Amino acid sequence: MGLVVGGAYIYYLNLLVTHQFEGLRWTLPAHVYAAPMDLYAGLPLSEPQLEHELQRLSYHGVTDLEQPGTYRATDNRVDVALRAVQFADGSRPATVLSIFFGPTGIQDLRDSSNRQVPVTRLDPLLIGSLFPVDGVDRIVVTPQEVPPLLPAALKAVEDRTFDTNRGVDPFAMLRALWVDLRSHRIEEGGSTLTQQLVKSYFLTNRQTLGRKVREAIMAISLASHFSKDDLMNAYINEIFLGQDGNRSIHGFGLASEFYFGKPLSELDLPQVATLVAIVRGPTYYDPRSHAPRTLARRNLVLQILARQGVVKPEQAQVAQQQPLGVTIGASGAYYPAYLDLVRRTLRSDYPEKELTEAGLSVYTSLQPRVQELAEQSLDAQLQVLDKRHHRHDAKLEGAVVVTSPQSGDVLAIVGGRNVDFDGFNRALDANRSIGSLIKPFVYLTALETGRYNAATVIQDQPVSIKLANGRYWRPENFTRRNYGPVPVVRALAESLNDATVGVGMDIGLDKISGTLQRFGLQRAPDQVPAMLLGAIDIPPLEVAQIYNGLADGGFRTPLRAVRAVVSADDKPLKAFPLQVTQVASSADVYEVESMMEQVMTHGTGVPALRILPPGLTTAGKSGTSSQDRDSWFAGFSGGELAVVWVGYDHYQPTGLTGSEGALPVWAHLMAGLGTTSLEMPAPEGVTDTWIDYLTGLGAQPGCAGAIPVQVALPTGTQVPPMPGCGSGTTAGTLLDRAGKLLHRLVH
Amino acid sequence: MKLMLGALALGGLLAGCALLNAPPPETSGNTGGYPQPSQRQAPPPAAPGSQPAPSQESPNVPPEQQAPQQPSFTLGPAATALVGDAHTQEQSRNFGLATETLERALSIEPRNPLVWIELGRENILAGNPAQAYGMGRKALYLASGDPRAQSSAWQLIAASLRAQGRNDEAYVAEEKAVALNPN
Repeated sequence: MGLVVGGAYIYYLNLLVTHQFEGLRWTLPAHVYAAPMDLYAGLPLSEPQLEHELQRLSYHGVTDLEQPGTYRATDNRVDVALRAVQFADGSRPATVLSIFFGPTGIQDLRDSSNRQVPVTRLDPLLIGSLFPVDGVDRIVVTPQEVPPLLPAALKAVEDRTFDTNRGVDPFAMLRALWVDLRSHRIEEGGSTLTQQLVKSYFLTNRQTLGRKVREAIMAISLASHFSKDDLMNAYINEIFLGQDGNRSIHGFGLASEFYFGKPLSELDLPQVATLVAIVRGPTYYDPRSHAPRTLARRNLVLQILARQGVVKPEQAQVAQQQPLGVTIGASGAYYPAYLDLVRRTLRSDYPEKELTEAGLSVYTSLQPRVQELAEQSLDAQLQVLDKRHHRHDAKLEGAVVVTSPQSGDVLAIVGGRNVDFDGFNRALDANRSIGSLIKPFVYLTALETGRYNAATVIQDQPVSIKLANGRYWRPENFTRRNYGPVPVVRALAESLNDATVGVGMDIGLDKISGTLQRFGLQRAPDQVPAMLLGAIDIPPLEVAQIYNGLADGGFRTPLRAVRAVVSADDKPLKAFPLQVTQVASSADVYEVESMMEQVMTHGTGVPALRILPPGLTTAGKSGTSSQDRDSWFAGFSGGELAVVWVGYDHYQPTGLTGSEGALPVWAHLMAGLGTTSLEMPAPEGVTDTWIDYLTGLGAQPGCAGAIPVQVALPTGTQVPPMPGCGSGTTAGTLLDRAGKLLHRLVH
Repeated sequence: MKLMLGALALGGLLAGCALLNAPPPETSGNTGGYPQPSQRQAPPPAAPGSQPAPSQESPNVPPEQQAPQQPSFTLGPAATALVGDAHTQEQSRNFGLATETLERALSIEPRNPLVWIELGRENILAGNPAQAYGMGRKALYLASGDPRAQSSAWQLIAASLRAQGRNDEAYVAEEKAVALNPN
């Protein structure tokens, strides 16, 4: 009877193993890639900057170009052995490229036959995976992608009889049993690679005698049905090799990227030995947490390899002198806030299961250089602010969004101070009052009525508005002073609340609400007077969307983090092409933008001048919500738009205006980007015109007693002269253009 | 007359780029490898994202005797190569791929109206005339000061309107295109 039951059990296990293993398909998380950097003659990228980009991609500097993944830098020239890579729109074989540098950046690109290359791309950086709830992450490798040293090392260290045994090694098991019996507990497994594979793929982690028996039967069954090559390949892809938060690292392909930031095929002897060392206990031998003991085990592995004749003793000797060489970060590049947006973007098109199990490749707009700079700028400035405005009951937080206005690409997202934390994403979810960030839209709407322009004199005087509940709303300027008659440009530059409320009430809340929605505000705001001072709660990403249109001449381009999705077999599945819609007259937006430039030179943006490179033209607007709960700055250059929010999660007052909290973060970010000056094309219908900042009267540079600023005005606008400043100005004279040139030279 | 203008706009745009002097399709490789060097003379290099570069002066006429030259946009070598790639992809009716390639060109020269016109043209071919219209407006905005580029932008706008059945508006756009560049 016992024999019959035993036989049936073995038969059942045999069926289970063969059936499941024959249809073996690992669930593959979607892998997410940053935008690959285009290289071309004229790109303002220095040799050290290129080297930094190559190192980010785990290319290694060498004296003689070897395998793909290496580069050689000499005077004004870098030769790179580029890896074979897959892009969203095709593949590139491994190839050698020479890059020549001049004083302003890349001067020439040549291939290995010295033919000129007009443009090419670096590899797209893997920035993370969308893995399932169980956290299993994996990169599957083919036998061709595995360095021959790895299976040889695994056999030498883990299973010397692998090539000949039938799935189990009775002598190894007996030895382990003897050790276990003597210690009255299970200390040694004596498991073959096949048994380890069975344990990982079919069984739980519990070590019981029954499970050991089951494991042995299944291993024998596997070994009798499948070739040794198949089993080795399955082992290399299956085995658990580390933990990164809630993500578990499976297979040597991902482990190679996780620990060394490069493909498995590029690993050298000490690195292969390190991974083989980790197999014995990924937590105990975690090379980042327990470097000394991992190093000791790696060296033991190297000695075994030499003893078994897998490598020469002298090779092992040299390898033992090498450091572990693991990357500092858990995965080199991990941007959970950005991945959050990627996941949300894809969720509408793909069920969760497909995202996390179908092996998709997702190509994004993220630019690692911009992302890192945004993270550093926020962290550094918040540390400075902590010292000045320290609260014991809360920690100052922040968020940053950077876009490319022309394409709508989201280049970077910082969701909070702890950039590695995959939790509350302030850039996407912190709905905060935008304060004065609304003012450019109030004035844009005013310009659209045709009754206002940048030089129009408006009244900055106390305002009292009766609300629906019978109470009165009496907003004040930040300085608690009123300035009387001021031109629109000053009201915007200095963020005068009372003047803005006066204009806003004159043109109507509904019109301003309409403007905001045209630019991308998702929901109509409550049409109450406080709306004019930014009583609209939206996250930084939505602010970036509405400001993107201001930075792009009145064209609305939906922001996009995902550019394309490609299937596991490299077929394009979905693209997110650029879309553009004109939502405002370019002339009106140009006029507002000219006033936002004055924010930076005469208004609340002035503190940025100490940080930005001299001569860099930018435009922006600060925002501060009531009781300083939110500190904002949104602004743009010729290349990028950045939105910064600083505040407390629980709405405590920060004691910081937009200029004090968010602006320094924004300015350091912009300065670090090496961005270009804002030079919008002047549309027909407006002309750059010099006026006095305080009175709005015509005043050329050099006019005594005036503060001349240049703003765009509708062509033909008659501007009366400032007393003592000559004749009146009509927007559109040659003198204006000469003055503009002079202004640019001076600033 | 309307028909003539319509044919001009659609023909000029969809036939591909006489107005842009883009390289012939065979000049650059596909995404399987590096683009090969151009076999025709590339246009004068323009700094990516630059303002219009002045046209080349006639070598035999002293500068002071020359009439003031209108600035004109040109494509730099990298964008030229990518536009060439896009044309190759377009010929195999792979409009999605061509669009992605042109977006690469756009990331290199985001303020060059010629790239926007190419992208708009691709959108018409791909059956997205509404998007092409937006790109035509964008090109027109960026082409400030360059009548030839403005004319091309109006041609794109006209073609996109006609593709949407908005023939009267298309006719007005075509007239603007011709007025800006009668040749």
